[in-house]
Amino acid sequence: MNKRLIVRLAGRVLLVESALMAVPLVVSFLYGDGDHMAFIFSMAITCGCALLTSLLRPQNETLRAREGFSIVALSWIAVSFFGGLPFCLSGRVPSLIDSVFEAASGFTTTGATILKDIEGMSRSLLFWRSFTHWAGGMGVLVLSLALIPKMGARSVYLMRAESAGPAPSKLVPRVGDTAKILYQLYIGLSLLLTLCLLLCGLSLYDALLHTFSTAGTGGFSCYSASVGHYDSAAVDVIISVFMILFGLNFALFFYLRQRNWKAVIHNSEARVFVCVVSIATLLVTVNIFSAGFYDSFGGALRRALFQVSSIISTTGFCTADFNTWPLFSKCILVALMFIGGCAGSTAGGVKVIRMQILTKSMVRDVRRTVHPKGVFTVKIDRRSVEESIISSVQGYFFTVILLLVSGSLVLSLDGYGFETTVTAAITTLFNVGPGLDLVGPTGGFSMFSPVSKIVLTMWMIIGRLEIFPILMLFSPTAWRK
Amino acid sequence: MNIIIVGDGKVGYTLAEYLSKDGHDVTIVDKNEQALAKARDTLDVMCVLGNGANMRSLLEAGVESADIIIAATANDELNMVCCLAAKQMGAKYTIARIRDPEYTESLTMLQKRLDIDQVINPERATAQEISRLLRFPFAINIESFAHGRVEMVEFRVDSSDPIVNMPLSKLHGRFPHIQFTAAQRDGNAIIPDGSFEIRAGDRVYATGDRNSVTDFFKNMGKNTNRVRNAILVGGGHISYYLAKIIAGMGVHLTIIEINQQKCERLADLLDDVTVLCADGTDQEVLDSENLREAGALICLTDRDEENLITGLYGVREGVRKVVVKVNRMKTTDLIENMGIESVVSPKLTTANVILRSVRALSQSQGSVIEKVYGMLGGKVEAYEFTALEGAPYLDIPLSKLRIKKGVLVSVLVRDRKNIIPFGSDHIEAGDTVILTALAGTIVNLEDAFA
Repeated sequence: MNKRLIVRLAGRVLLVESALMAVPLVVSFLYGDGDHMAFIFSMAITCGCALLTSLLRPQNETLRAREGFSIVALSWIAVSFFGGLPFCLSGRVPSLIDSVFEAASGFTTTGATILKDIEGMSRSLLFWRSFTHWAGGMGVLVLSLALIPKMGARSVYLMRAESAGPAPSKLVPRVGDTAKILYQLYIGLSLLLTLCLLLCGLSLYDALLHTFSTAGTGGFSCYSASVGHYDSAAVDVIISVFMILFGLNFALFFYLRQRNWKAVIHNSEARVFVCVVSIATLLVTVNIFSAGFYDSFGGALRRALFQVSSIISTTGFCTADFNTWPLFSKCILVALMFIGGCAGSTAGGVKVIRMQILTKSMVRDVRRTVHPKGVFTVKIDRRSVEESIISSVQGYFFTVILLLVSGSLVLSLDGYGFETTVTAAITTLFNVGPGLDLVGPTGGFSMFSPVSKIVLTMWMIIGRLEIFPILMLFSPTAWRK
Repeated sequence: MNIIIVGDGKVGYTLAEYLSKDGHDVTIVDKNEQALAKARDTLDVMCVLGNGANMRSLLEAGVESADIIIAATANDELNMVCCLAAKQMGAKYTIARIRDPEYTESLTMLQKRLDIDQVINPERATAQEISRLLRFPFAINIESFAHGRVEMVEFRVDSSDPIVNMPLSKLHGRFPHIQFTAAQRDGNAIIPDGSFEIRAGDRVYATGDRNSVTDFFKNMGKNTNRVRNAILVGGGHISYYLAKIIAGMGVHLTIIEINQQKCERLADLLDDVTVLCADGTDQEVLDSENLREAGALICLTDRDEENLITGLYGVREGVRKVVVKVNRMKTTDLIENMGIESVVSPKLTTANVILRSVRALSQSQGSVIEKVYGMLGGKVEAYEFTALEGAPYLDIPLSKLRIKKGVLVSVLVRDRKNIIPFGSDHIEAGDTVILTALAGTIVNLEDAFA
């Protein structure tokens, strides 16, 4: 393992992060909210540490799979840690663990918060919180790849370790170009959303904040009532649509830009995603309407659509307290947390494509019991999926379940009830944000013990990086000489 | 440029490696997932799983906007179909690898009918390289430029050579028609200047026209006679092409091939060649064919290890020229340290030929690149450019042209005459300019000047 190279490249990412902190610093000066010193100190510390790492001279530049995974894992842990500094240094979040939790929740686009009084926070800190969603959504390393030229041919390992989905692929032959295209699309869609929100009458600050949170599928808002604060049908619908868009594979937008309609139409993952959203919306609408929560069917539909798209895209915005909804609707929402968005999106969760592969391989196993000698392949988009990918998806799913159970066990020591404990583990591992009961839309994570908070912070990062990069970091064989 | 490479074998992979380093956008198509996985992990290229002649795979690889498609699968017919399909679908320039001797006669017709822009035959190219080595047996490597007017010959300097320990500025007085274009010492490549002193053990490139080069080696006291008889171990395509190429050179060939059918076929196709059906790696067989008296031993079996061992045996027996074919190894200097100096690699030869074409297609305003040749294990490259009218470097004395470090303007060819340039010489429009430079420093002639 080339440890110096790992630390050095992770340091480059920190350099990008310290540059990102300049944005909330400007906001702080504009509003004069008094937190500018916290940002200046954080920038200095982050930048200083980054420069320290650049003193390390690696013996060689060989970057193999294991180094790639370690760089990504280490970068994310470091970025979350340093990202928490502004909260801590400003004195508004006294505990360092809480600060790091908040930053990890931001970068991993979870949106789970330990803040009790959101409106009492300074404007720049709220801005930073949402801005971390935007930066983390497409990936901090992909951002670094787009910004820093020539990280080397093998930087493909970095992108693969950070991108969502079972077999991430490039859009164009070069990694750097792919990263640039992804960010162009990301910025383009974000600008469109900001424009739409401005037209709905939001202030520029509110529009930007909610754009960041929607684009990264994060879920931080500047109001305790989240998007429900505006109580506007237009805002609800616009954000619902964009949450679904950001839950789609970004390759689709690339194909659209290239006018490659076929590739878009033949993408079964997107079709399944939209189908699941429609069916879930319909079921929830009927359920909450018949239970008498809303007077009109339209009102129920609006809330249901928003909540379903918010949960399946793992954003975590709320327009209604779904804690009070009937159990059936709540169960649907928890099921949607498992599914998550599409591969290659900013969303979390297991991902639609993995669910497709798992379902089809299950069907195949059933057919195999009927025809013991039969040869069946699992096909997605009329192409057979390699056996190695199928088994890695199955392994991934097992690990997810294992992490959920073990995480719940640790949380259960705090004794906050079954629903709270289990949904807290689910919602952090899948980067959703709100869970049920105490961690529901109106609740928060502040009551958990420090140990639980550390575990949840790790779960968020593990979930964002799709488990294996972080687990590899703790595997002794990877470090053995 | 957008380049599609069909077939991720030895040649395909090497090409992808060089072309992506040159800054092109490369997409590889292959039906073997494992071969693709290697390329995907180690190179900055895009990989498409599928058959290269299949429309869907080609579309997925972006054939409509492809500038060049290179079909380099193991199958000649597939390569042809692939190029045909790609051309119909919009690829601008097609290159096919076709190597079966059965097709060589009908090649012109095939190429025209199938609209293939360029055909490469690795075995034939390798055979040509070997034939040049037989002509100048004292050379390690030879490459010709400017339609054969300039030869670049690599040789190893012995301590008894009269050029040892003299600065090049003095040597030039003695050999006015020879330019020393590159040297290798202790594994490092050097572009020499006037103060450079050649030492024993160096590998040096001497450049000039054919007669000057021959005279130079005669003056050095080297045996410049060509090889009279050669033993070939292995009777594959290369042996066949080599026999065809040197048919008129007066070299007697003995081909030793273990496979009876191949032997019969060679005997059927070739005249004036002795074909033996025996194991050429067997030292008994070699001894009984009078290996010590042979002018050259050329090892061309499919296995690198056997070629090496046989070659080493030839070196020990004192054969004047030993040539070894290597398929897999990248570190040719390893083999050179063992005493075998001439190593041919069909993979690298092919990659070199295609690289040249690709570079020639991506031309600049001020010059046309005619040829690129990798020397000293790829550490140094020699370029042949044609200077065009209106370029900024014309008619300025070279001493004022701030030439970049690590670049040497080696030879100018003007009106069919070679000029070994000095500071007072200048480049004129229409000149053929031969440069040597450390690999990766230049792409166009303009790049040579700061």
